[in-house]
Amino acid sequence: MNMVTLIILRRMRVPFLLLIGVYSITILGMVLIPGVDDQGNTWHMGFFHAFYFVSFTATTIGFGEIPYALTEAQRLWALVTVYSTVIAWFYALGKILGLIQDKAFRNAVATNKFKNDIKAMHQPFYLICGFGETGKAVVNSLTEEHYRAVVVEKDEKNLNQLNLDELKEYVPSIVGNASEPDMLELAGIRHKMCQGVIAVTASDETNLKIAISSKLLHPEIKVACRSEFKDVEDNMLSFGTDHIVNPFESFADIFSMLIHSPSLYLIYDWLTGAPNTILSEPIYLNKGPWILCGYGRFGRELYKHLKARNIPTVIIDPDKSLKEEFDEKGEDSPFILGTGTDHKTLNRAGIVTASGIIAGSDNDSNNLSIIMTALDINPNVFVIARQNKWNNHILYSSFGKQNKAPEDPITCLIMHPREIIARKIRAYFLAPLLNNFLSLARQQDNEWSNITVSRLSAIVGDSRPHVWSVRLEQSSAPTITQALTYGRSIKISHLTQDPGNRLSKLRCVPLLLIRDKKELLLPDDELELEKGDEILFCGTYDVKNNMHWTLNVMRSLNYVMSFEDEPESYVWRLFYYLRNKSERRNNR
Amino acid sequence: MNLEKVVFSFFMILALTLNFGFFYGDVGNPDHHNIYELFAVIVINLIATVLKFGDRSQLGAMLLATSLVAVAQLISASVVWTFAVHIQESGMTPTVMATIVSLSGGALLANIISVILLMMEAAMLRH
Repeated sequence: MNMVTLIILRRMRVPFLLLIGVYSITILGMVLIPGVDDQGNTWHMGFFHAFYFVSFTATTIGFGEIPYALTEAQRLWALVTVYSTVIAWFYALGKILGLIQDKAFRNAVATNKFKNDIKAMHQPFYLICGFGETGKAVVNSLTEEHYRAVVVEKDEKNLNQLNLDELKEYVPSIVGNASEPDMLELAGIRHKMCQGVIAVTASDETNLKIAISSKLLHPEIKVACRSEFKDVEDNMLSFGTDHIVNPFESFADIFSMLIHSPSLYLIYDWLTGAPNTILSEPIYLNKGPWILCGYGRFGRELYKHLKARNIPTVIIDPDKSLKEEFDEKGEDSPFILGTGTDHKTLNRAGIVTASGIIAGSDNDSNNLSIIMTALDINPNVFVIARQNKWNNHILYSSFGKQNKAPEDPITCLIMHPREIIARKIRAYFLAPLLNNFLSLARQQDNEWSNITVSRLSAIVGDSRPHVWSVRLEQSSAPTITQALTYGRSIKISHLTQDPGNRLSKLRCVPLLLIRDKKELLLPDDELELEKGDEILFCGTYDVKNNMHWTLNVMRSLNYVMSFEDEPESYVWRLFYYLRNKSERRNNR
Repeated sequence: MNLEKVVFSFFMILALTLNFGFFYGDVGNPDHHNIYELFAVIVINLIATVLKFGDRSQLGAMLLATSLVAVAQLISASVVWTFAVHIQESGMTPTVMATIVSLSGGALLANIISVILLMMEAAMLRH
């Protein structure tokens, strides 16, 4: 039986019994006490009339003394009726109201509603465990593109915000501990529409538990996890977690992209930030040494990349044991003890000639202080800052804007863990080919990136980008597969033609084509398509919808390929057939 | 001894006995069937139903079902009575009486099942 009805039935037992008791006694009394009718004869109220009388009295409606005026004895009993039944009713109502406000009952109602919401999911959805800063960013980016999400969160306060935020899709949510398998089960992990589990709670331990339970409960499901520690990560990988995001490693990757080729960083930022970013101006990095403040988890990751590119680096950290460990490893970069928040240390590290400074401690006040001191000495230094708390967002973002016009190039890069994780997870689930594209692009040189950026900005540049992939299969592109079986030759340029007007081009760029597991970066327009190809496009959202026509409607495909329209109904086909026949006869 | 069990069994058995009392007699003869007895049967059956609310077990669900059946039958019987006497004003004819008594007979059957289930539960308990 349903938990909610069960609670109601259990709690209402006493009020119901009281009501039945009071009703039966008063009805019986009304029937037994003799009355007088309008002719003065003795008259007994029947059960029907008595029930009627007690009913309207008990509910304080009070129609009066019907059908005949009551005798004194009946009035006495009517008094008893009024007080006893009205009190019984109030008691029952009070119980119901109390029940509605009861916490256990409310939880039961919420759980029940959540269960029904999950049952009613007919679209693919993602299960998000943890609705902290990262969880919010993930949910936002999913619902922005009209994917459904379900949220499990431990803290009720965080969930209350979910209802306030204006999301584009309704997101069912429940308060509960996602590391409990029951909770995952309730949240629909076995639901056939559940596409993936995203574990982004603050604790690595919890994420690990979620990943294990998800893989056991539904082995085919994709699981993405947030993890900050290497050993937990290895553990997650050991049982087949599909995607693990470590915010520090991910940022280090982005950083290496930036020092490798600023244009590539722009491409990354623009494509993964979709649909909320616009293509920003290119970044110029000066040649020169870097200063790395803070040699913790974050600093180490970045140092690896700086060292790999042979960029001279000065490290500043107040921890002596870290310095000893650093020296023992035989690293040759200078290591200065200090926080880097004062002029003296920064000057010693050579801030005047440095091309960039990284404020990477785990303390936001220190980081802000480092940046301000550094900019005070050398206003041209490129700043990379680690932001630890989302609340400090306003403070950090003010650096990029101070004393600058909006069109000036970026001179600082801020690492928000929530943003990085949300982007990675979004790309993994919604545009899986994007990661392939980015890793291929990283093998290209700066020249290639510059050309690509200018091509992208020429075609889609100033509008919000949308990245999607098209698979040439019967289910997703029926027209193309059919036409290919007929032996027609279809090129990529046919797909990018506007099915509304074939003379104009859709504003999109094919980024990547995958054929038989081989990847082809920026495929040529003249490339002939084959069945089973998968193509990653970048364009605007309405372009994606326009392309849908070519992929799904034969008439549109014929149109962009400049074939004549073929008749589709029986009558017209017959008509065309007859006309062609007579033409042929005339030609003969 | 558990007071709750006593009260529970008391009402269920009382529902059965009263029901039998009303049902017993010539089917079409209004003199054999007392209206007060019908009233008592309805009240006691309602109480028995509410007492069965909120039991999650399979047996509890079946007990609740039998009571609901009995209440439905008895209320139909009382509605037939009200209709005949107050609304159609045909009075209490043997046909109407027969309908009411047979409806209460159905309720009697449901009550018998209910008591049998109660006995089964008692028999299954090990002391």
